[in-house]
Amino acid sequence: MVEQDWGSVQFVAEQFRRYYALNVSSVEAPSEIRQREFGFLSFEDRGMFRHKGFDDAQHLRHYLVDYAPSHTYYSSAYYEAPEAAMEFKGWQGADLVFDIDADHFSIPCQEDHDRWRCRTCGEEGTGHPPESCPGCGKAAFIEENWLCPQCLEAAKYEAQKLLDILIQDFGFTPSRELTVNFSGNRGYHVHVRSASVKKLNQLARREIVDYIMGTGINAEFQGFNQGLRGGRYISLQEGWRGRSVRALYDFIADASPEVVEDLGLGKAAARKLLKNRETILGLLMERRPRNVVKYVDLKSIGMLMEVAVQEQAAAIDTVVTTDIHRLIRLPNTLHGKSGWLTQEVPIDDLADYDPLSSAVAFTGGTLNIHIKRAPEIFIAGETYGPFEDERTELPMAHAMFLLCRKAAKVAS
Amino acid sequence: MISEREAAKYPFLSEAARLVDMLDLTLDDLAEPVHAKVLDRAEGRVSEAILKGKASANLGDSLTELLSFPVANMFITALGERFLDRRYALSEAVRAYELLNDESEARVAKMARTEFQWDLRLVRELLDGRLYRFELHFNDFLGNAAAFREPKWKLVNRLMRDGYVLLTNPETTRLLQEEIRRRIGGLISKHRGLRLPEPLQARVDRLGRTFEENRSSITGGDLPTDVLVEGFPPCMRYAFEGLMAGRRAGHMERFALTSFLINAGMDIDEIVKLFVSVTDFDEQFTRYQIEHIAGLRGGRTRYTPPSCSTLRTHGVCHNPDSLCKRVKHPLSYYRIKIQDIRGKQEDKPAE
Repeated sequence: MVEQDWGSVQFVAEQFRRYYALNVSSVEAPSEIRQREFGFLSFEDRGMFRHKGFDDAQHLRHYLVDYAPSHTYYSSAYYEAPEAAMEFKGWQGADLVFDIDADHFSIPCQEDHDRWRCRTCGEEGTGHPPESCPGCGKAAFIEENWLCPQCLEAAKYEAQKLLDILIQDFGFTPSRELTVNFSGNRGYHVHVRSASVKKLNQLARREIVDYIMGTGINAEFQGFNQGLRGGRYISLQEGWRGRSVRALYDFIADASPEVVEDLGLGKAAARKLLKNRETILGLLMERRPRNVVKYVDLKSIGMLMEVAVQEQAAAIDTVVTTDIHRLIRLPNTLHGKSGWLTQEVPIDDLADYDPLSSAVAFTGGTLNIHIKRAPEIFIAGETYGPFEDERTELPMAHAMFLLCRKAAKVAS
Repeated sequence: MISEREAAKYPFLSEAARLVDMLDLTLDDLAEPVHAKVLDRAEGRVSEAILKGKASANLGDSLTELLSFPVANMFITALGERFLDRRYALSEAVRAYELLNDESEARVAKMARTEFQWDLRLVRELLDGRLYRFELHFNDFLGNAAAFREPKWKLVNRLMRDGYVLLTNPETTRLLQEEIRRRIGGLISKHRGLRLPEPLQARVDRLGRTFEENRSSITGGDLPTDVLVEGFPPCMRYAFEGLMAGRRAGHMERFALTSFLINAGMDIDEIVKLFVSVTDFDEQFTRYQIEHIAGLRGGRTRYTPPSCSTLRTHGVCHNPDSLCKRVKHPLSYYRIKIQDIRGKQEDKPAE
């Protein structure tokens, strides 16, 4: 079989069909399935088929076997009539969902495996595309994003920080109210299912996003205020009060004079900070943030804090969490851009979880493919590549991944 | 059952409403001269809302104070001015807030729990020189504080553990004020276009005139039809100049800028031209999206730009200046700035 198209869509679609025929029983109905909207992307055409509803897991599974979609989503929202048009659905509430995607943060490995090309002048580069093309000044790029164990570790680290905040600060109970899914590609989804969050409006969800990301944190309200004396000490485990002290400690302990100058602090403030570094660190360690103001003015502390909290905050996609009609991937279904599974990970197992072995759906056998271009691919303990316009025989997992990425086609 | 005095203080409580129901008064009864005091006080409440934005508490005559509340609600409903609905609800809520500040913690907690189903616990913790007396579940906290814009109300600036937010006594009553404001808003929006018996209608008409006389000073003016870039808030200027320079912008920034330009009165064709000329977006597709935001397609909703806090969340807020501190919305910034610019132009001596 020779196909001309990169990605060999027909071949991949057939593999998906076989996968669902054999494994569909692992797909479970989300809670309150009758109130959920479903959406699908198919291999045939580019639009999303949505506003679909199912009575139970059985119907959903039949659908997956019959259509073997390339991507499968369900709504975080609950509706009276999930199949109705948007304005008639009757929104009843929504789970609180968080999306962590390695594509949203900058990590060194992206320079190795990601590339961009300007649509206008053809200028090329590695890593994230620039704000505008250095060649022609336009801002439309073709992006080629890959992933590697480092990206996935970075995403997992953010997911763990997020979980810590959700459990310690928000008081959600792991497993019962909180679940974590590997997204099937570059990240993790965290779902909160609880009566207390279901009715939260967009405004409230936005405040939660700001909390998770440390947006709008104000030093004065984190204890850096000399005017307010009296009372007990804060524990370092106590929400942002503790986290901000830790963040500032870590930042100030490591900061070089150049880093401090780059923050835009006044010259005098920067000098004072560096001169009194040990004293300030001591005050932070003793949890007396109030007295730090004696050495660095409140405004400068605010600037330091804004940067410092980034390390403690979790990098979530702000749009996903604030969207109360969001469609999100259904666990145990296939991701059309990787050939991997979206997969629930028990929270206790997250630290040891390795998606590159656990979530790989297509294993067994090998496949001859023609690869356009790809960086090194590491799946299930085996590394192949990099590739540049070549034909080779690869294990099924690697071959399917490259096909799903449209970086290869099946060779005859 | 609640006492008449308690009901007079907090007439929006469900028990207070039951007390009023038990009196079984009809509209015609109210039109009788014996009830003139009630009508006077109701009219007073509404005009206080219009003129001062805050109702007083006249607890000397509890029954009049209590009965005047549903009557004032009826006046507001009959007036049918949405802006006034909001102003009145706030005015009554501020009245309740001031009364609540003199109550014991136990009384405040009781109202919050039984009337508004708050998950609220009494505590006693001294921190940073502040005495925290309550712990409120974040869900109830956000339901009321999420719209506030002072930094101290941001969840990230609160002490929260295990899902509960520490609050001082005045903070708790401030949040209750918000809850009460919504409750009262709900009480008045139900039946529109009410026509009242004559003696009552005369009062409504009088209140209508008071509102008209003060409308412009309490509602603010309209936007100009030509777009003045000098009046743009820093975030929109950043987005606009970025677009001109061909900088890559995220979805939220493009949406914010487009809806801002539409609401600032820029012509759709001009916006399309702008986007197409500086990016290589497909013209038809760009037009479709812009018309969608303008409410000419799809759900027919004309979108307004997101508020300042939303823009901050999504990283679209850049270089805020001193005027930014005073506004919550990029369009309010624009409105104020435009008036400033025009004021200066008018001040210039004629040539």
